[in-house]
Amino acid sequence: MARKIGRREFFRTSAQAGLTLALGTGLATASRAAAPKVKASIVAVGTGGDYEQAAMKAVSLLGGMKKFVPKNARVALLPNVQSRHPGSFTKPQILRAVIRMCKKAGAKEVNCLSWQTVKQWEDTGLKAVIDAEGAGLKIFEKDEALFKPVPIPGGQALKEARILAEFYSHDLLINMPITKDHAGNKFTGTMKNLMGLNSPVNNRTFHRPNWKTDPNDVAHLEQSIVDLNKAVKPALNIVDATEIIVTNGPFGPGQLMRPEKVVAGTDRVAIDAYCAGLWGLDPKDVIQIKKGAEQGLGQMDLTRVRFREDFA
Amino acid sequence: MLRASMRDGRAFAPAAFLALVLACGGAAAAACQERPLRAYLPGGTAASGWAKDGEPQEYEGEGLYTYIDGGAEIYQEYGFARVVIQDYKSAAGKSASLEIFEMSTPAAAFGMFSFKRSGGGKAVQLGSGAELESYYLNFWKGRFLVTLTGFDDAQETVSGLLAIGAAVAAKLPGDGPEPALVGTLPAEGLKPGSVKYIRGLLGLNNIYPFSTARGLGFAEGVRGLYEDGTTLLLLDYGSAGSRREAWSELRAFLEGSERFVRVGMEPTEHVLFQDGKGRFVAFGEAGSRLIVGVASSATAALLIVGRAQ
Repeated sequence: MARKIGRREFFRTSAQAGLTLALGTGLATASRAAAPKVKASIVAVGTGGDYEQAAMKAVSLLGGMKKFVPKNARVALLPNVQSRHPGSFTKPQILRAVIRMCKKAGAKEVNCLSWQTVKQWEDTGLKAVIDAEGAGLKIFEKDEALFKPVPIPGGQALKEARILAEFYSHDLLINMPITKDHAGNKFTGTMKNLMGLNSPVNNRTFHRPNWKTDPNDVAHLEQSIVDLNKAVKPALNIVDATEIIVTNGPFGPGQLMRPEKVVAGTDRVAIDAYCAGLWGLDPKDVIQIKKGAEQGLGQMDLTRVRFREDFA
Repeated sequence: MLRASMRDGRAFAPAAFLALVLACGGAAAAACQERPLRAYLPGGTAASGWAKDGEPQEYEGEGLYTYIDGGAEIYQEYGFARVVIQDYKSAAGKSASLEIFEMSTPAAAFGMFSFKRSGGGKAVQLGSGAELESYYLNFWKGRFLVTLTGFDDAQETVSGLLAIGAAVAAKLPGDGPEPALVGTLPAEGLKPGSVKYIRGLLGLNNIYPFSTARGLGFAEGVRGLYEDGTTLLLLDYGSAGSRREAWSELRAFLEGSERFVRVGMEPTEHVLFQDGKGRFVAFGEAGSRLIVGVASSATAALLIVGRAQ
């Protein structure tokens, strides 16, 4: 069904001991509550055909979920449910692993937040996992009253985000995209996934009339995504890079590649740069990654990132 | 702005009807109006062992943004009218999703087909052209593009895609050749399945991103990949005058861009640049067409342009 790629070990350089890149004050830490800090530029990669195990291994390589989820925390999860085509949505196995890890860490409540439809959650198999694991699925109407205005100091294209108000009743966010192709900007990863928490009306302001074709409009979209990421800072990102579409994204169906990896960390730019490389993209060619690095969201130069990888 | 217009097959928005009138023309337009897309859905025993699962969904015009959030623009660029989606289930519990897209013209349907196929799949005899990938099938016929997606690559699933596809193809009206521009690609060494027919910048950006809109307002274009690794792109501007004006704009951009370096400044028939990836990009002119060759060597890029002139 999909082409497997070999055990490519990306940039597993042992960067200088103790190298901790300053990624902007607090940018790599939990968004809401006092989740303990971890080193910013460590990216963990769990590899293997058992995706649940791969997710657990990736988090374990970062020191375990307890480093990110304080006891009694209310945890918000943001998987991608954009399409039900293979390789276009976050795998249910990964969601199951994350829910279990959060609960084991002592989370009081684990909820998936969304303004997508219940049908999308059902069709992707994610709702069944949520139900089986005793987590919550909180779906909201696309009603602007349900979104909280959040000013973005330093926002260049986006001065104000409108984030699901319910998010602010949670202590932290775990961002759970699937990395995949996108017909417009060629790449979807951690940064773009946060549009799933922002109001659809506000998201539309990212899209000028020629947002996929005119270079100025493309730049506006990419900058808006970077700005949104200044407003919302996940405590942890866990990316599905197990089986992904590398053509006809983001909706599919498209050609599948099977890196069989789950990628975790706090540095969104580093994770996205790594994931882009999985199917041969140069991170410098992905404008949101380049801008994110330039504006202090993270490290794009993977030779300066410390990788921890395990082949399950 | 992004109006959701999911419909139940009875109501029909005036704007969409107008688009279809323009697309279908005359008497055919009346047929379009009378025939909801769901009429082309196989039912009963049309695809042996497979039955409809649930109700169909239908979207038209900008309603496509509701169905394909983040991916509708390319359909709109080619010319989209409406779509119907129907799930199927086999007796053994396998699932498949059928999408029938009605595009504005046969050229638009072929273009979208060429955009979606990878070129690495298996060509199958269905409609006017079809490609079967490991778990999905695309084909086009007349104004229609059909995509069938299985949710695994089991033999039973793939057989189901082909059976449902054949049943749809038998119901769909119309036919039509590929756009004439496709036939102007030099045939020798052309990789089968590599041809992509484009109608705008989004299609072009997925083939070769110039990172500008200047001079790229072409009417139609076609891309072919060749066995020697070269890429040939023909952009047609409708008239020699429009092409001259556009090429002047594009050339000015390239000469001022940090991503492109002019190679050789002496006056020649062709103009050659090297891009930021080290690829050579040669340009030639022929009537209403701008001819672009991309290759790892200057010689190969110039040769493929010369062959197309």
